[in-house]
Amino acid sequence: MSAIAASSSHDRSRSLETVDLTRSFGGVTAVSSATVSFRHGKVNGLIGPNGSGKTTLFNCVTGMIKPDSGRVTYRGNDITGNAPHRIARAGIGRSFQLCRVFPRMTVLDNLLVATRATDLKAQLGSARDRDGIDRARGWLARMGIDHLENAEARNLSWGQQKLLELAGVLMGDPETILLDEPAGGVNPALIGRIGTLVRQLNAEGKTFIIVEHNMDMVMSICDHIIVFDRGRPIAEGPPAMIRSDPRVLEAYLGV
Amino acid sequence: MRNDSEPKRWLGPIVRLAAIAIGAGLILAFPASVDNPYMLTVGIGILNYAVLATAWNFVGGFTGYISLGHGALSGLGAYATGLLITVAGLPSFVALFIATALVAVLAIPIGAAALRVRGASFVIVSIALVLILLLVFQSWASLTGGSRGFVVPRPFPELRRAEHHMVFFYLFAGLLAAALLVWWVIDRSRFGLGLKAIREDEDKSEALGIPTFAGKLVAFVVSAAFTGLAGGLYALWFGDLDPVFQFSVLTGSTMVLMALLGGVRHLFGPLLGAVVVGSGLEYFKLEYGDTPLHLVGTGLLLFGVVMFVPEGVIPALSGLFNRLFAPRETSIREVTAAALAESRRREGEADR
Amino acid sequence: MALFVQSLVLGVLLGGLYALLAAGLTLYFGVMRVVMIAHSAFLILASYLAWYFHRETGLDPLLSLPITIPLFFAAGFAMQRLLLSRLRPATRTMMSVLLTFSIALIIEGLLGYIFTGTQRRIQLGYSGASLELFGARVAVVKLIAFALAAAALLALYLVMMKSKLGQALRATIQHPEAARLVGIQTDRIAGYGFGLGLATASVGGTALALDSTIYPSLHWHWIGPLMAIIVVGGLGSVPGTAIAAMVLGMLMSLLQIPLGTTWAQTVFYLALFATLAVRPQGFFGGRLAKRF
Repeated sequence: MSAIAASSSHDRSRSLETVDLTRSFGGVTAVSSATVSFRHGKVNGLIGPNGSGKTTLFNCVTGMIKPDSGRVTYRGNDITGNAPHRIARAGIGRSFQLCRVFPRMTVLDNLLVATRATDLKAQLGSARDRDGIDRARGWLARMGIDHLENAEARNLSWGQQKLLELAGVLMGDPETILLDEPAGGVNPALIGRIGTLVRQLNAEGKTFIIVEHNMDMVMSICDHIIVFDRGRPIAEGPPAMIRSDPRVLEAYLGV
Repeated sequence: MRNDSEPKRWLGPIVRLAAIAIGAGLILAFPASVDNPYMLTVGIGILNYAVLATAWNFVGGFTGYISLGHGALSGLGAYATGLLITVAGLPSFVALFIATALVAVLAIPIGAAALRVRGASFVIVSIALVLILLLVFQSWASLTGGSRGFVVPRPFPELRRAEHHMVFFYLFAGLLAAALLVWWVIDRSRFGLGLKAIREDEDKSEALGIPTFAGKLVAFVVSAAFTGLAGGLYALWFGDLDPVFQFSVLTGSTMVLMALLGGVRHLFGPLLGAVVVGSGLEYFKLEYGDTPLHLVGTGLLLFGVVMFVPEGVIPALSGLFNRLFAPRETSIREVTAAALAESRRREGEADR
Repeated sequence: MALFVQSLVLGVLLGGLYALLAAGLTLYFGVMRVVMIAHSAFLILASYLAWYFHRETGLDPLLSLPITIPLFFAAGFAMQRLLLSRLRPATRTMMSVLLTFSIALIIEGLLGYIFTGTQRRIQLGYSGASLELFGARVAVVKLIAFALAAAALLALYLVMMKSKLGQALRATIQHPEAARLVGIQTDRIAGYGFGLGLATASVGGTALALDSTIYPSLHWHWIGPLMAIIVVGGLGSVPGTAIAAMVLGMLMSLLQIPLGTTWAQTVFYLALFATLAVRPQGFFGGRLAKRF
C-alpha cells in the first residue's frame, strides 16, 4: 500500500471506516483489502475508473452484500455484515446508481415510508399522520417537487425521481449520506442544484460520501477526495492535490 | 388532495360507508331470505372463500409475494381442530382456537424459511409445502384417516340441518368481518405502508430502514392465523375432511384467483372475487354436473384475469366510474403533465 | 445386496427420466425467468397422445414422436410469443406462475372431459419383458424409456452446445442485455427455448406412457419433484438439473426399500427445503444458476 497522505487529523470517533475490506465475485476481486476512513462532517468524494470497486464498497458498507473479509465500522461500532435496515437506522442513508423509488406509490407516500417509528402503537397508527406529512412536504418543497405530491413516482422525469430519492433518504434523518452517482443522466442545471443542496445539507451537519464521475461537480463540492483503482484506495486528499496527482491520472488513463 | 374536489370531499366516505352498510345488511339478511338449505350452503361456501381470499391477501396484496400454498395452512387448521376434538377430547370451539394458535405458531418457522427467498423460488416452496403435507396426511392414515376421510364431530349435534347452516353462516360472516377489519387497519397503518414498499422494491425499502424480513413474517403469520381459523371453522361446519381437498394446490390457487379478480390492493377485492368465482363455480356444478369442466372454467377465468385484468375488477371499474362520472378528476398523467410544465418553468427560473 | 443393486439400477433409470423432464422446466426459467407449471401437464398430455395413438393405430407409441415433437415445439413457441411475452416484465415471474397454472388446469380439465378419469395404460407386446442387467432384473420398457430420455438429452446437449441456436440460447440465458447488444433477437430466441422445452415434454411424456398408468391429475404427482429438482440443481442450469435429477432419482429409489414409495417421495421436498435453507442458488449449477 502506497503512502496514503493521512495528513490532517480528523475526528475518527464518529466516522465511517473500512478496514481491509475484501469482496470478490466469481474470479473477479472488486474490493481488495481496502482500508478507508471517510471524513466526518465533510463532503467526501469517491472517484475512480469504472470497475474500481466504488459501488461494491457502498454495497458492503450499507449491508446489501457481505464482504468476504475485513470490517466496516461506524462511530466506533463494528457494523460489518449487519442487515441493511439496521445500518440505515444507525444513521447511514444511501441513494442508488440507478435511481430507485417506489414506482406505483405517490411521491408523498414515497417519503412517508421512511419515517422511523418502531413501537407497536406507531406501527398500527395511520401511515399519513400530520407530523410525517408536514416533514415530507418540507423536504419536497426544498427539492422543488412539492407540486408533484400526489403523482405516482413512475410518472416523474428522471431528474425529478433523483430528487425524490434524495428526499426519501433525507426523511430518515441520516447523519451520513452515501450518494451513488447523483449526477448520472441529469441535466447541468439540476446537477448544480444538487451540488448546492449537498453543500447546504453539509453545512447543517450532514456527512456526505459521493461516488461520482462528473469531475466538475466533484472538484467543486467535495472537501476531501479518495481515489479508488482496482478495488483499493490509491490516493486521497483535497481536490487541488488530487487534480494534479500523477497516480490518479494514470489510473484513469490506464497502463 | 390539492385538486378541485373540496366540496365533494365528505361525499366519498359517506357513499362508501353507505355501500358497506348496505352490503353488510344484505349478508346478514341472506339466511332469512332463502328458503332451501342448499342455497344457504352455497352462501357459506362463498363466505368461506371470501375469508380465505382476504386472509391470503395479507401476504399477496401487501407484500406482493404470491403464495399458492395457503391450502396447506387451511388444511392444517382443519385437521388440527378435528384431531384436538377427537383425540384430545376438547370442546369444539376451544379446539378451534387452539388449532388456530398452533397454525400461527407453525407459520413462524415456515414463513422464516419460505420468506428467505423471493419470486419463483417462493412460489415453488409454497407449492411444495402443500404437496408434502398432502403426502404426509394421506400416508399417515392411522392418525388422519388418510383417503378414507376424517369425521369431525359437530359442535351443536342437537341442531337441525337448516339451523346448523344458519349458525355457521353467521359465524363465517363474523370471521369475514374480523378479517376485513384487520386488513383495513393494516392497510392504512404505517406497518402497511412499509409492507407495500416491500412489494414495490424490497431492497430499496430495506435501505430506507424498514425491517423487511420481520415485516413479511408478521404479515405471513397474521395471514396464516386467519387461514387456519377459516379451515378449522370449515371442519366444524362440514364435518368431513379428505386430504385431497384439504391440501390442494387448486384450492390455494382459487383463493389467489379470487383475490386477483377482485383486486389485491383493495379491501373488498377478495370478497368481490369470492362472490363472482364462488357463484360461478356453483353455477358450473349445477349446469354441467361434477365433470372436470369446472377445472377448465377456473383455468379460463384465471387466464383471463392474468392476461386482461391483472389489476382486478375493482380498479377497472373505478377507472370506468371516474371517466364517466367524475371527468374533472383528471387522470394522473394529465396531472403530471401540468405539473411537469410547472416544474420546467421553475427549473428555468432557478437557472437565472 | 441384490435388492440394493436393483434399486441402484432402477434409480439410474429413473434419474435419467427425471433429468429429461426437469431439463425443459429449467430451460423456461433460464430463458425467461418463468415458472412453467404447465410443463408437467403437457407431459401428461403427451402421454395421453401416445396412448391414444397406440389405441387408434395399433402402432408402437414411439412412432408418434415425429408428430408430437414438432407439434409441441410449435405450441411452446406460440405460448411464449403470444402469451408470456405479453406479461409486464415487473411482475412477469409471479404472473407467469398463475398463467401457466391456468393452462395446466385447462389441460387437466379437457383431458378429464375427453378421456374421462379412467386410468389408462399402454399394453405392448414387450410390456412384460425384462432383462438381466448388472445382476438386476429390469423391465424392458424402463430401459427404452431411459434410452429415449438419454437420446433426447444428448440431442438437447448438442443443440445447446454446438448449434448457433444453442449459442444464442445460452447467451440469452446468461445475460439478456448483452445478448441483445450483440444483435441476438432475444424475444424470438426465447420462443425457440420454450419450443425446445415443450419438445422435451413430448419425448418425456411418451417415455412415461410406456411404463406408467396415466390419469388426468397425474401432473400433480410430477410437478413437485420436478420443481424441487430444478431448485436443487440451480434454476436455469440444464447440466445442474441433470445432476440433481440423477442424485435425487437414485436417492429416492434407494429409500424405497426402507421407507416405501410414498414416504420415499418426500426426499424431493426435503432436498428442496435444504437447498433453500443452505444454498438458495442450487448446488450443481455453478455460475450459470440464477437466484430466485
